[in-house]
Amino acid sequence: MLKTLNQKVSLVLLAIAAGYLLLSYQLPSYPYAIVDADVLPKGLGYLLVILVIALFFTKDSETEEQKARRNIPKKDILALLAVFAFVFFYIFLLEILGFVLTTALFIFFCSWFLGYKKHLTNIIVAVLFPLFMYFTFTEFLQISLPQGILPF
Amino acid sequence: MGSLEGILTGFQVAFSVEGVLFVLIGVFVGTFIGMLPGLGPISAIAVMIPVTFGMDPTPALVMMAGVYYGAVFGGSTSSILLNAPGISGTVATSFDGYPMAQQGKAGKALAIAAISSFIGGTISVLLLMMLAPMLSSVAISFGPPAYFALMFLGLTAITSLSEGSTSKALISAVVGFMVVTIGIDAQTGTQRFTFGNANLLEGIDFLVIALGLFALAEVCTLIIKRKDLSLDNTHKLGSLKITKQEAKEMSGPVTRQSFMGFVLGVLPGAGATIASFIGYITEKRIAKKPDEFGKGSVRGLAAPEAANNAATSGAFVPLLSLGIPGSGTTAVLLGAFLVLGVQPGPLLMTDRPEIFWGIIASMYIGNVFLLILNLPLIPYISKILKIPRPLLISLVIMFSIIGVYAISFSTFDLYMLLLFGVVGFLMRLFSFPAPPFILAFILGGMMEQSFRQSLTISNGNYMIFVKEPISLTLLLIGLLSFAFPIIGHLRKRKG
Amino acid sequence: MKKYLLMLLFVFLTVLAVACSNDETSNGDANGDWEPEQPIEIVAPAGAGGGWDTTARMAAKVFSEEGIIEEDIGVVNKPGGGGAVGWAYIAGHEGSAHNLFVASPPLILVPLNGQSEYGYDDFTPLANMIADYGAFAVREDAPWNDLNELFEDMKEDPESISVVGTSSPGSMDHIQFVQIAKAAGVDVTKIKYVTDPEGVGLTQLLNGSVEVFSTGVSETIEQVKAGTIKVLGVTAEERLEGEVLEEFPTAIEQGIDATFVNWRGFFGPPNMDEAAVKYYEAKFKELSDSEEFADIRSQYGWNEMYMDSEEYKSFLDEQNEEVQSLLDELGLGE
Repeated sequence: MLKTLNQKVSLVLLAIAAGYLLLSYQLPSYPYAIVDADVLPKGLGYLLVILVIALFFTKDSETEEQKARRNIPKKDILALLAVFAFVFFYIFLLEILGFVLTTALFIFFCSWFLGYKKHLTNIIVAVLFPLFMYFTFTEFLQISLPQGILPF
Repeated sequence: MGSLEGILTGFQVAFSVEGVLFVLIGVFVGTFIGMLPGLGPISAIAVMIPVTFGMDPTPALVMMAGVYYGAVFGGSTSSILLNAPGISGTVATSFDGYPMAQQGKAGKALAIAAISSFIGGTISVLLLMMLAPMLSSVAISFGPPAYFALMFLGLTAITSLSEGSTSKALISAVVGFMVVTIGIDAQTGTQRFTFGNANLLEGIDFLVIALGLFALAEVCTLIIKRKDLSLDNTHKLGSLKITKQEAKEMSGPVTRQSFMGFVLGVLPGAGATIASFIGYITEKRIAKKPDEFGKGSVRGLAAPEAANNAATSGAFVPLLSLGIPGSGTTAVLLGAFLVLGVQPGPLLMTDRPEIFWGIIASMYIGNVFLLILNLPLIPYISKILKIPRPLLISLVIMFSIIGVYAISFSTFDLYMLLLFGVVGFLMRLFSFPAPPFILAFILGGMMEQSFRQSLTISNGNYMIFVKEPISLTLLLIGLLSFAFPIIGHLRKRKG
Repeated sequence: MKKYLLMLLFVFLTVLAVACSNDETSNGDANGDWEPEQPIEIVAPAGAGGGWDTTARMAAKVFSEEGIIEEDIGVVNKPGGGGAVGWAYIAGHEGSAHNLFVASPPLILVPLNGQSEYGYDDFTPLANMIADYGAFAVREDAPWNDLNELFEDMKEDPESISVVGTSSPGSMDHIQFVQIAKAAGVDVTKIKYVTDPEGVGLTQLLNGSVEVFSTGVSETIEQVKAGTIKVLGVTAEERLEGEVLEEFPTAIEQGIDATFVNWRGFFGPPNMDEAAVKYYEAKFKELSDSEEFADIRSQYGWNEMYMDSEEYKSFLDEQNEEVQSLLDELGLGE
């Protein structure tokens, strides 16, 4: 049944629309509103359903170039997932270890992972760049970034 | 004191040694902060307020104004080079600026942006000087129905932002609209789609969406193509020189959008973002070759840059002549005035002409300085693109992370950034355009609020939208601009 | 595959670093003379540039510049949820004597509206510093000349009058109006309140979209001077001081027995050490009495309103009760 890509995508979107509508119907009502908080969300939910149905019955009109975007070698998908994991750890540790240390580790390992071979340059950039950013923000702009475990 | 006399006083202030010096400091600091990730005019002004303590108000305010438009001027750099718009006013800049930089014309893109900004800034200051006293009535002429109509007009442009499938563009917009409904509803105080999470109460920040859908999605593409050597021309800076042909192409959009951007800037609540989007869309609509837009078009880059800088000058009209801040940024700027013991408002022009006209006159000099500062810097700034791909990817990610952290100070928003990065990448894979999403996100919130404000005021009577000429006109234009492309589309199919 | 080892190494190193970092929270001495031992953090539960942020930064500035507190003071922004995100953050520092935050009526209003898990009674009040008041403005050519005339019309034809404010129903601009109107006998469930989150309420007043603007007094001064609007009443107890300000009649002198204070002060985390509370109380008193802070107050148009920890606590209890009963009557809140 699900032959075209549009049909598969439609189903995912339909699920999103359904979930959104479900939540819209659970919104509490406010006694004094002429147009309450749930009106627009419900409207948007149904509008999305209609558009998704339209998409379901539309033929793919993508250009070759657009289709080619989906041809990702498996190796690159793994690389993408790995970078996302790096970023996830970066965020997770940002407030624990502090901005400078986490960023330095991130820049060094992420660049290395993506194939950067000049380790010395990498280390220099990974150390100096976060330090520069950190002091610009905290000292010059008075905007505090997480200090973490380093003494400054 | 007559206006002419006032203007002369203003020029005296602006061209004094002190005046010139503080304009220079202001625009320099502004441009620098504007280029930093996540820091736009708001942070730039807030950061500079303590510096002005105890200063004489006139030079201090001339400097603060410089910080403001300097930050808008500098904000385009990261949009063009990294596809990472740091403030909402420069999202539209990335639509054509980034593709142009990718084609090895980064230098040219930055130069076009700088020159368009300069012209937009200068034309609008001229308008500001001639019309400021009169325009204060325009600034308050928009009631909630008119704002609704304006946002509606902006949203009708969604179809023209699509690349191919119209239904995909509309879906993208509806989802963007859905995302903006997250948070506390201002009219009722009801929590919508927050799942009881305090971090979602104020909604999702614009920067999270913009950096996720644009910068991180681009990072994903770069990772896949990191070994693709054919893309090596992106390392090139290219010539800064703008050809005669390009100058000719720019002239129309820049002039038109300087005027339009200024008028939109005058309206409180509209501002640089809406001006840049409407500027972009209008130029795409009237261009002979709309297909070039989104692929590195000179017009597509020049229009939003002229518009957002013109809107910035426009925003001074309600601020200076009414004391009404039209945006978060001008609200903070109003704070800077108060700290110095100056209260902007209807009396400023007569009570403190040296301040009122001094600020306006100094903006001429400021714009010239910005151009002189920015043009020679281009070769150095675009060296960013020479950074080897793997390192550049890491740095763009870091850039986005600081950008979001510096406004939200929470890791929750960073996880949201990551999430929208994934969403943005998936949207690319399946050819759902991101611009309609972000347009609906920006305009949707205000459109809903002004719609419901109108109906509360009218006790539920829908006639309020067609009773006033302003909203009626805007609604009609909106309907037409929505209908035309669809009719045209249907005709093409038949034919 | 070698590359994936790299990632493991990254994770390992960072985890190691976490393990090595010790939590360095220390509690104050048991004896009365407590002194800060590490930099003090003042949280502004909002972004840069707003009222909370400004108050926190000004306090930190005078503390350091005048040498009232020797230890470094840093202001940290924790925006989100109208304050809820910042409060949750502070609540996570239970017992710490080095984490303060600045607060105002939303600390009472937001939890009562069910938008924050933590409320004022979860935290340790240190000292209130300043007060601000609400004002109700109408256009210069409006038919009403005092609050009673306005409220009479609202009683007769509530549909014809809209009130605009910047914040949503149940929050400050709304509640201050409802509180005064209720005391004047207006049916509060019939008040038409419009929120203008873009902060252009004044525009809507000037162009005639709405009839009444509920805002802070300082926002009205310049327009009154220019003769575009008139202020029918302010929510202060007594007439305010200052040019133009002294001409604004209070609700009380118009026979409406109600006030609304936009207080602003400093709090510590839950269960802050008694000695530390005493320390900060004294320091904030010194700050409040300093000439430098007086200058700042006059620059921003803030009124002095110092309360020590105990006074503050009972003041807050009172405020909380009043707002609670209003919200109950409106059918809002949790």
